[in-house]
Amino acid sequence: MYQQSMNKQFAMSRLSTFCGAFALSLAILVGSGQAMAQDSAAGGDPAAATSAPAGGGGDVEKGKSLFTNNCAQCHAASDEVVVGPGLKGVRQRTPGEDWLKKWIRNSQAVVASGDAYAVGVYNKFNKIAMSSFPNLSDSDITSILDYIDSANAAPAAAATAVPAAGGQATAAATSESPSNLFTFVLVALLVVMLLVLGVLLAIVSILSKAVTPAGGEGTTEAPFMQRLRDGLTNTINNPVARSIVIWIFLFVVVKSTLDGLYGIGIQQGYAPKQPIAYSHKLHAGQYKIDCNYCHTGANRGKSATIPSANICMNCHGVIKKESPEIQKIYAAIEQNRPIEWIRVHNLPDLAYFNHAQHANVGNIQCQTCHGEIEKMEVVEQRSSLTMGWCIDCHRKTEVNTKDNAYYDKLVALHRKESKEPLKVANIGGLECSKCHY
Amino acid sequence: MAIKHISISALAILSVVVMGTSCKRGHDDTGTEFAPNMYEPVGYEPYKQTREHPYNAYGLNMRLPAKGTVARPNYHTSFGTGDSTVKDLMIYNIPADSIGIAERVLKNPVPSNEKTLEEGKVLYGRYCQHCHGEGGKGDGLVGKMYKGVPSYSADAYKTMNDGHIFHVITNGKGRMWPHGSQVTPEERWKIVHYVHKLQEG
Repeated sequence: MYQQSMNKQFAMSRLSTFCGAFALSLAILVGSGQAMAQDSAAGGDPAAATSAPAGGGGDVEKGKSLFTNNCAQCHAASDEVVVGPGLKGVRQRTPGEDWLKKWIRNSQAVVASGDAYAVGVYNKFNKIAMSSFPNLSDSDITSILDYIDSANAAPAAAATAVPAAGGQATAAATSESPSNLFTFVLVALLVVMLLVLGVLLAIVSILSKAVTPAGGEGTTEAPFMQRLRDGLTNTINNPVARSIVIWIFLFVVVKSTLDGLYGIGIQQGYAPKQPIAYSHKLHAGQYKIDCNYCHTGANRGKSATIPSANICMNCHGVIKKESPEIQKIYAAIEQNRPIEWIRVHNLPDLAYFNHAQHANVGNIQCQTCHGEIEKMEVVEQRSSLTMGWCIDCHRKTEVNTKDNAYYDKLVALHRKESKEPLKVANIGGLECSKCHY
Repeated sequence: MAIKHISISALAILSVVVMGTSCKRGHDDTGTEFAPNMYEPVGYEPYKQTREHPYNAYGLNMRLPAKGTVARPNYHTSFGTGDSTVKDLMIYNIPADSIGIAERVLKNPVPSNEKTLEEGKVLYGRYCQHCHGEGGKGDGLVGKMYKGVPSYSADAYKTMNDGHIFHVITNGKGRMWPHGSQVTPEERWKIVHYVHKLQEG
């Protein structure tokens, strides 16, 4: 008996060391993650810093501010094409500064005059007309051109060696970071597994020692099995134990059967695979595009509407055109064929629901019913959409009466009868015919 | 002995029931529906398609409105009260390539006041902000990816008038695609008010 408890203590201490080791490996993991984050932040800095030193003198400074205000939306000062061509060496490649001035003030007039170079540029960049800047004076344009020259001269000379190295380092760091993390996780898992193996071996040895009497080793198996069998038959023959087991079993069976029956018609957790792998996490979460931009009906009508392809095209006419998922939109448009999105939230026809009523008048956030859509890669039905769920919310939610003259008299009447704020239930939110008719 | 047999078989049946109900259904499955006759609409409803429409292409339920029809809210809208009342037919048929006409002809029928400006701000947040940025500097999160989004307060843009802005929202211009299908004419005019405010920088 004493020996057994000693063994137990021994096992416990083993367990605690195992836990400690696990915590330690976790701590290492977390710590290394932070270190990497700091690395990449530090790596990002020099690249940002190098773009700052460019030229000097008032003219170039003025040119810089004019450039960022007027040109930078469509042109880069380097040779990178944004919308229009990159402006590196623009003085050298165009027919001259007078031509440039004419072009900047009214490019369409130059194209219309039949100037060969102008027509060439216009056609090369998909016939997008450059905005006219009639307000820029001669000196303004000269300082913009000076700025472009200096911006290209300065980084070319000073910033080749250092930032190039820095850039490579950051690139390497960013590309390595996931694999680093992966190896850390692997090593940690390996350590944990080895520890578990050790603990298990220890337990087995302790148990076998405890089971075997001090004497003969050949007879170890039989008495143990015999005792086990005896114990089991005793419990089975014991009527109290038997009835307890049966009652617990019956309880579990009834409980899970009732739960299963109540789950009929409830589609909570439904997350079908859509024809296009659209991610709300990316669009609504990362880029913070408002829900209403695509679901235009949410504030206006019964249905929030699923966007048609032209709304996708507002951005994807330019962004990520080559992605196979986005090519599916292009194919649908070319064939004039609908994209068959699968409806996730299916309210039965016997219940009426109106989005505008809730989102526009009631000022309810989309997330209240739909869950954290902006964090979902695949949309899932988070709420149960049962009648109990609706009613519960109608009982709890206060009516948005602020700045709405429609409710003034109702609020006054309600104040006479009750001290509670006006809830949806008070204005008929629990009446059958509100939703079922 | 017979009683024992019965209890054993009852247990077996119950365990089968447990196994049947305790399994979680997959994410692609809507589960059992109780009364499909009451759950599925009898008429052809948008976004509730349970069967193909026999006459429309691709079995679609929804169709475009007949050509030339005007939505009721766009038919006759009046703003303001008393002498300042402005009546405007909220339909827009200046061709997409005639921005010059829009600039000369159109004037914002929605009166500019604190309320409409506030509504314009909300609408701007919904439909414009992710590209054009909160302050209209062209620095929205999507705008940075999209590239070529101008700043409203830039020299070439800060003088653009009602008709120009309305026409660009409706039909698009340059890299911007038309947004007429998403934003109603009245909402566009409210956005125009707010954009004028952003043009001041």
